[in-house]
Amino acid sequence: MSPSVLQRIASGEQAAVRECIAEYGALVWSLARRLTRTPSDAEDATQEIFLDIWRSAGRFDASQGSDKVFIAMIARRRLIDRLRKTSNEPPMDSVDVLETVAWSDPGTASEISHEAERATLALQELRPEQREVLELGLLHGLSQSEIAARLGMPLGTVKSFMRRGLIRVREFMNIDAEGVSARV
Amino acid sequence: MSESGLRGPPDDAMVDLLVKQVTDGLSSAEQRELDAMDAALVGRELRAFERAAAALTLAGTTLEEPPAALRALLEQRGAELFASSTVVEFKKAPPSPPAAATAPLQSASSRSDGSRRDASRSGTWGWLAAAACLILAIFGWIRSPEPVPAPIAQVEPTPVAPISEPQPQPQPPTPAEQRLAMLASADAVKVTLGATKDPAASGVTGDAVWDPQSQTGFLHFVGLASNDPRVRQYQIWVFDGNRDKRYPVDGGVFDVPAGVSEVVIPIHTSLSIGQAKAFAVTVEKAGGVVVSGLGHVVALGAVG
Repeated sequence: MSPSVLQRIASGEQAAVRECIAEYGALVWSLARRLTRTPSDAEDATQEIFLDIWRSAGRFDASQGSDKVFIAMIARRRLIDRLRKTSNEPPMDSVDVLETVAWSDPGTASEISHEAERATLALQELRPEQREVLELGLLHGLSQSEIAARLGMPLGTVKSFMRRGLIRVREFMNIDAEGVSARV
Repeated sequence: MSESGLRGPPDDAMVDLLVKQVTDGLSSAEQRELDAMDAALVGRELRAFERAAAALTLAGTTLEEPPAALRALLEQRGAELFASSTVVEFKKAPPSPPAAATAPLQSASSRSDGSRRDASRSGTWGWLAAAACLILAIFGWIRSPEPVPAPIAQVEPTPVAPISEPQPQPQPPTPAEQRLAMLASADAVKVTLGATKDPAASGVTGDAVWDPQSQTGFLHFVGLASNDPRVRQYQIWVFDGNRDKRYPVDGGVFDVPAGVSEVVIPIHTSLSIGQAKAFAVTVEKAGGVVVSGLGHVVALGAVG
């Protein structure tokens, strides 16, 4: 198997950087747009995320997951940090915008990555309100408190739904689930 | 820390904290609570939850192409990263007294700073005042002995390469050589970095040089304590006069291996610097942070 773009960057191949931007630019930009407050913030975040990706490329291990999940993990970490550092600012999305996002169906998700497909299969086992908690937290970047307020749900229930959902996805993805069960 | 074979499953408290970290971020108190837990177990479980959250995120993301201008800027950043070399260059510590090779570099930096200080004091003091606030902020951190969790391990420490080995083929200029060339430039910004009272900075001398045009620069330290990159990393911050000084720009993370006395570190800022006003180095969790609390500063200096 030929080395991935990330592996080529790690080996010092400069041309792979441009390919990396072409291949993952839309993914990073889309995540940044969704989880930042302004287009300017999204541009700054995208630059920071790509710098992280290039620095981290040597740690990508294809046996541990797909390149897209690796990229999304890095992006999420940066974006969550940024969100929480600016948590005293107004909410980033209007109600109307929040309603426009939806999970992919497994067929569509399979075109993105195997892990995304498994994640959507896990979602189908969750109750609608559990899926909604995950959607607000993961796709819209709302904090657990914000989700509780928005849904009129006790904070403990939000935490429980979030936890159960992520553990279920771990199980479907066969991620090292050592000792973790869907306790609620 | 328990042995791997004896390590049990994560308890509810750990799982709750990990889920919150992955979805929400942790408060300082929550982070300290997590820091006190089994670092290896925390690291492994955190990665598992991060993967699950990332997969879900992929399943709910509709792709949108970035603006052409941003794409061009990213390509420029990537080229700069490679052009200035991704390696941090180290010199091995000599068996006895400080490396003679470092003396000329320190002298060159000091001379330049002396002339700059004479030229403009008023601008300096404003930034030094801001820097002083950072120093005041560090004292609560200096001797914090708490255990630290395993790194989230998604951000690779800047690769390091010893320079004591002879290069078999012609190589582009090393960071040390690039730094020397930059120091000779009249347009470059040169700053002496002062060490704080942090133990890691005891006896440290350092300087920074920054070229506004190429948006590149170098830090140079002698005597900075080694770090365990799995736990903590040094992180560079550039204070930009055109930005809010509460949020300095990330200049990259770096490590100092054991036994190394002198380091030259390329500065890779994540954003363009309009007017470099000050430089600082903090100790952060492995992988660095997006916005530093500037609570653990080991060196800093303001442009004269």
